[in-house]
Amino acid sequence: MSDRSGAIELSGVTLDFPVRGGGRHEALGGVDLAIPGGGVVALIGPNGCGKSTLLRVIAGLLAPRSGRVTLDGTPVRGPDPRVGLVFQEPRLLPWRTAAANISYPLELAGWPRDRCRARLAELLELTRLDAAAAAARPSELSGGQRQRTALARALALQPEVLLLDEPFSALDALTRERFDLELLALWERAATTIVLVTHSIAEAILVADRVVVMTPRPGRIAADIPVDLPRPRSLVVMDEAVASRTARQIRSHLGDPDANTEGEAATPSRLEAVS
Amino acid sequence: MRRETVRALAPVLAALAVFLAAWQVAVLVGGLQPSILPSPRHVAERFVEAFAEGTIQPHLGTTLSEIAWGFGIGAALALVVGYVMARSPLAEQLVSPYIVAAQAVPILALAPLLTIWFGPGLVSKVVICALIVFFPIAVATMVGIRSVDVRLLELGRSLRATRRQVLWTIEIPAALPSIFGGVRVGVTLSVIGAIVGEWSGASRGLGVLINVARGALFDIPLMFATLLTIALVGIGLYLTVVIVERRLVGAR
Repeated sequence: MSDRSGAIELSGVTLDFPVRGGGRHEALGGVDLAIPGGGVVALIGPNGCGKSTLLRVIAGLLAPRSGRVTLDGTPVRGPDPRVGLVFQEPRLLPWRTAAANISYPLELAGWPRDRCRARLAELLELTRLDAAAAAARPSELSGGQRQRTALARALALQPEVLLLDEPFSALDALTRERFDLELLALWERAATTIVLVTHSIAEAILVADRVVVMTPRPGRIAADIPVDLPRPRSLVVMDEAVASRTARQIRSHLGDPDANTEGEAATPSRLEAVS
Repeated sequence: MRRETVRALAPVLAALAVFLAAWQVAVLVGGLQPSILPSPRHVAERFVEAFAEGTIQPHLGTTLSEIAWGFGIGAALALVVGYVMARSPLAEQLVSPYIVAAQAVPILALAPLLTIWFGPGLVSKVVICALIVFFPIAVATMVGIRSVDVRLLELGRSLRATRRQVLWTIEIPAALPSIFGGVRVGVTLSVIGAIVGEWSGASRGLGVLINVARGALFDIPLMFATLLTIALVGIGLYLTVVIVERRLVGAR
């Protein structure tokens, strides 16, 4: 896997923000993380642990105060076309149709019309959006369709890395599980590295190869836990013993007092969001 | 006409009928002379007659070209200045006191001075018109650009949009509803600007015609017919803006 592109490396990354009334808030306190190309990593942690900040550093939207961030060996100095970003909310341009939102990155990159159209068709197919949804404005779409549109937009330029910031948190639990599985199916086809910020242990275990647990003040990596479940994954064929052991491990690092309770059934379908 | 159009127009026409009826009643009950308040029918007849004789058209043409130039220049400057003020707090601090001061001084007081400076021709009217149009559009543009969702700007940044791309694909579309709010006010004021400009010295224009009808000719029905023309110009311009707005802003 290491020879695939889309490898991310962070070493000694720190970041702080000025706080109103003086002083600085230490958002990231020395983060080291290596994600191989094609890997799927979930960042999990309570609010304010810096996981979204870390994602923005990888995306080149925030410059770290110190430390190094590289993508395939080259330093990240700003937003990069090799990185696709999905925000917490769909963040669509309300005056554009879904299709025009999806091809927006292509338009900005100056793709010719016919190439845009061909790529748009691929993306609609990939994210399972029909012609009616493509022609509709964001206000006419369902929450799920909006997030599909945002996902298609992030994939438009065929990125090597897909960064997702709690992308399905606004969806209901059932829709969310379906989206997680679709994301996996998509990952198998699009072959990108995925970094997923989440609040949900269940989601992390279902999707990721590794779950990186972060703790706040300052944001640090507390644990890096492998998920030893075979792929392709599904909710039905899931080794519940492994899943629940992994979940317990994650919980223990999140400071959950119930983490060591024996016999806690931690199957993904039963798990709720932490925080 | 389609049925929806009829249904939409019906209340408008009904309100117009009520207005005209009230006017007619006021004239009859008050026993007013046509030299004080002519009846709506009288005004309508004079309106048609004046157009048939070609009395109004040259004045209308002059006023319309003053409005076109004044509005165009004023609005264009307002869009640029409004944008700069929105994006540069320093520019706003430096410029806004003068803009507010210029707006606070009544245009009626300013017009004679501007006519002395720029002469009784087209230029002074264009300046007055542009001045009066500037303020509402500049403020609306500033407010609209400032209220652009920062999350959309972050999206633009993440997609490496250039400044120009951000301006055309995010900032302007997002600010458009607000900008059009200012344009609606501005286009109505542009009519006032042109008439006020003509009053402080001109040889042609609807403002001049009002003065002539009231003074030298003492043709009060003609004066009303001219007022009606001015009102129709205002309504026409306003509706044009609304139609353009519907096209550009559309459904969201």
